[in-house]
Amino acid sequence: MQALHAIPWIVLFLPLFAAAGIALFTLKDRELSAKVSIGAVVIGFILTVIFIAASGWEPQRRELIVTWLEVGDLQVDFGLRLDALSLMMLLIVTGVGGAIHVYSYGYMHEDRSVARYFASLSLFTFSMLGIVLSNNLLQMFIFWELVGVSSYLLIGFWYEKPSAADACKKAFLTNRLGDFGFMLGILTVWSLLGSLNFSVLQDELFKNPAALGACATAAGLLIFCGAMGKSAQFPLHVWLPDAMEGPTPVSALIHAATMVAAGVYMLCRVFFLLSVPGSHALEVIGWIGGFTALLAALMAVQQNDIKRILAYSTLSQLGYMVLAVGVHAPTAAMFHLTTHAFFKAMLFLGAGSVIHALHHEQDIWQMGGLKKKLPVTHWTFLVGTLALCGVPPFSGFFSKDAILAAAVEHSVGLFVLAVAVSGLTTFYMFRLYYVAFLGGARTDAASHAHESPPVMVWPLRVLAVPSALAGFWGIEALFSGALGDGHGVQNLPFLEQLFAPINHAPLAALGGLIAVVFGFAFAREFYQNAALDPLPQRLGALARGMKNRFYFDEIYDFLIALTQEALARFAQFVDRWIIAGLLVRGAHGTTELFGRALRLVQTGNLQTYTFLFVLGVALLLIFVIGNGH
Amino acid sequence: MNNPLVLEIVVVVLGLGLLLLDLWLPVERRRTLGYAAAGVLLLLLLGSCLAAVPETTHAFGKMYVQDTLAVFFKRLFLFSGVVVLVMAVEFFDKLQAGLSEFFALVQFALAGMLFAASTNDFALLFVAVELITVTFYVLTSFQRNRALSLEAGVKYLILGALSSAFMVFGIALIYGTTAKLNFGEIAVVAPQFVTNKIFLIGLLLVIVGLGFKIAAFPFQMWAPDVYQGSPTPVTAFLAVGSKAAGFVLLLRVLFGAAPQITAHWPTLLMVLAGVTILYGNLCALPQRNLKRLLGYSSISNAGYLLLGVAALSAAGQSALLYYLAGYVFTVLAAFLVLTLVLRQVEGEDITALAGLSQRSPMLAAMLTLAMVSLAGVPPLAGFFGKFLLLKSVVEQASGNACYYWLLGAAVLGVVISLYYYFGVIQAIYWSKDVTDLSPIAISTPMRLCLWACAAGMLFLGLFPGWVVNFATAAVRALR
Repeated sequence: MQALHAIPWIVLFLPLFAAAGIALFTLKDRELSAKVSIGAVVIGFILTVIFIAASGWEPQRRELIVTWLEVGDLQVDFGLRLDALSLMMLLIVTGVGGAIHVYSYGYMHEDRSVARYFASLSLFTFSMLGIVLSNNLLQMFIFWELVGVSSYLLIGFWYEKPSAADACKKAFLTNRLGDFGFMLGILTVWSLLGSLNFSVLQDELFKNPAALGACATAAGLLIFCGAMGKSAQFPLHVWLPDAMEGPTPVSALIHAATMVAAGVYMLCRVFFLLSVPGSHALEVIGWIGGFTALLAALMAVQQNDIKRILAYSTLSQLGYMVLAVGVHAPTAAMFHLTTHAFFKAMLFLGAGSVIHALHHEQDIWQMGGLKKKLPVTHWTFLVGTLALCGVPPFSGFFSKDAILAAAVEHSVGLFVLAVAVSGLTTFYMFRLYYVAFLGGARTDAASHAHESPPVMVWPLRVLAVPSALAGFWGIEALFSGALGDGHGVQNLPFLEQLFAPINHAPLAALGGLIAVVFGFAFAREFYQNAALDPLPQRLGALARGMKNRFYFDEIYDFLIALTQEALARFAQFVDRWIIAGLLVRGAHGTTELFGRALRLVQTGNLQTYTFLFVLGVALLLIFVIGNGH
Repeated sequence: MNNPLVLEIVVVVLGLGLLLLDLWLPVERRRTLGYAAAGVLLLLLLGSCLAAVPETTHAFGKMYVQDTLAVFFKRLFLFSGVVVLVMAVEFFDKLQAGLSEFFALVQFALAGMLFAASTNDFALLFVAVELITVTFYVLTSFQRNRALSLEAGVKYLILGALSSAFMVFGIALIYGTTAKLNFGEIAVVAPQFVTNKIFLIGLLLVIVGLGFKIAAFPFQMWAPDVYQGSPTPVTAFLAVGSKAAGFVLLLRVLFGAAPQITAHWPTLLMVLAGVTILYGNLCALPQRNLKRLLGYSSISNAGYLLLGVAALSAAGQSALLYYLAGYVFTVLAAFLVLTLVLRQVEGEDITALAGLSQRSPMLAAMLTLAMVSLAGVPPLAGFFGKFLLLKSVVEQASGNACYYWLLGAAVLGVVISLYYYFGVIQAIYWSKDVTDLSPIAISTPMRLCLWACAAGMLFLGLFPGWVVNFATAAVRALR
């Protein structure tokens, strides 16, 4: 058993050792660096599988704890939490992450700083695994920040491009804004409940649900701020589309399987805290998620960059997951997170394959007819599209249906919103599919495209399997057991599982399917063999708004200029004139003056010294004897 | 090691032996004499550390006492003796003549310090103090062709003679009133003399003499000039050995010979400690000469050490011992670096440190470590020492609110001191105009001494338990 307990530690720290090893020793050797990094994550995946096979999804020891430092009464622990939730995430991060590592080997082959790339990638994987395995909020926060740092390194990997440098700065700062709220939330929880350990907190709140008192809503929303940053929810969603400036495998890793999933994972991890009676946090969370989903879907409709379309789609799907948390269905959220990790990673990698084949062309209107040129990329992309749209029997259908079913129960408004987003999703994904893959080639590059090398194509094939079939693997039942909700979901045989959504919540399933049909019909109508996008003419100002992301960036720039810059100027005034000028200089000047004055006594003249010495003796005697002793 | 006097005997014989060997050794091989002497002292130190702390024993009719307190100080003296000898060898180029005499004089001063640690009688106190001081008259003016050095020697001689005169007068008054010289015997009869002004004046005059040794206000005038003018190894020995000897004698007189009278003097001791701290720190602020800076720093440190005396408690005294141990390692490290850096430069201005981080990263790191420890930053020895001292002061504050003022003065002093200690660090790493970038050669003995000092600073800061226990046991010997 002892050896078994070492496995999670090894899985966690292997990528860190890989990152350190590459940074310290093998930075010159491109091949070796790549292999070390890939090896670390693949071994991690294999070890995770072994661990789950040996101890099951709910190990007997749910927490592995070592004492990190001990100072007096203060003891700081470092602990790993092991349950179905974290183990499943472990599989996703090492599995999907592993596929992306392998793919990167092909995609980044030409780049001159491959070693730096893989070192950052390993550091990122380590941080993400840390979030997943943390058994307390503080430790999670530390890894949370590490993810922020490593994503900064990855998004800004091509730092010589100004747009990439800006994007990584934007991502980091926006995330920091959310993290600040997260930290306040953690402090609130700590001051009210006296612990940050998840199981201790859960027991505490189970025994005394009113322990958070009037702060329940505030604490929940502050913690949600963290998720808002990492999972890019409105109004902190602006960083995610810009983060496409990083290399495409990075987009796949950050925006599909890992970083953005961290926010949703965290919400599910502390769901017991958000759902305490008397807290209204979940309602707010649900509506923010729904609004983000709709907003992002609308923006995606008028994007022309293949990666940006996928980025907005990610935003929209994250909104879905957050919505699911908001309607008391963390199981559905985690289920969708899992299936989304598979098919969105595959879609990004497929997009990368297209970009690679077209020599870094990203505009879909410069493509066309890629179906024949890139056969594997085409069919895997199609599988991903169908899964994303929620077409049965692909995985996305089941997870999306779970969310819709939960929404029906809790809020009609959110349900309608979700169905509308589902329709829009189908519309923009098939717009992309029709324009890029069908019809005739619009450019020379598109007509001379070649399929990518095997090292890039195989990860696509591997990811296509779960994208298509993950709905039948009982993932939902697993999460349901771990999270204790999900309406008694069971693992069913194939056919029963296929029709389960319709039997279980017919309204939700039908609503979802009708939306898909409508979305597909419109996309086919507008974009089959289209040479130009017809929408700008038909929709006018609305289309312009969609294309320009509803001017959020411009509004933020204006607001920042209005508030932050003014605040900064004020702070600078205070710092320069009051703190540095009056307080520091003043205090410094006074003491310095004393020092210089005292130095005058130190004349160097022996007679003076002797006189002062004797004077001192006299004073001493008067002081004691004169005092009546 | 059965004879309690073995350390003193070996050191004195070693000093005489060095003088004799000087007659036969050719000039160019005299360096090895210094290393040999340092080696012998190191062996003595190791022997003392390995042997168990002996039972309290007396010699010379109870004039001399060998107890835990004496052993604690003797180990510190031996360690500083080793380092100062190594430093002196390195300093050889600047001493035109008489290297062997220099080594021998260091031995004699060391013998005086060892006697001071074991003093239990006013007569031996006077002999030990004079042995130390007279030796230092010669040592401070050892660079005979350097006016500053001669000036330092003359100042030290005149003021030292003055303070000795006061002290011997004080001893005479004490003997005149009590007819006793032994500390233990005086402690028995002292309660009868609480109101006897002659006796009190006598005791105060002894304190004047010891206050001169430790450079406490108002007897600190000599320190900056003499620190600046003396050869660097002598300055180091003054700052460490001579000061520690003053403190062990002060502890023995105040708490061994006249505890009942000291108990009436908290205000006096508080004023002395507080003013010494502020004076040293304020004067150091505008200082640009490195050795002078360390001179003022040593005044302020005397003030911190006096906190432990003013606290009038066993906790305060053991904090004093702990702080002194950390101070020895820290100050020796600083002077080791200065010896190397100032070897080639004429002045001792702070600008001599410019570019040190490139010339020798190790020396830069060591001096930084020493400054940070002096400033009292964790996890170094200086931090924990100051913490213990302030803690002992706070513990007394419930009975006497004046201790809060003392605490305030001490904290203010710490804040002020950050400025000039970090000014040194700034000069090391961020000097603008760096002219000399030649690397600095460090001999192996110097390197070993540096590592030993760094290890001491870190060990005391990270694992204070061992030395605190030793200090607590040593203080118990005073009761």
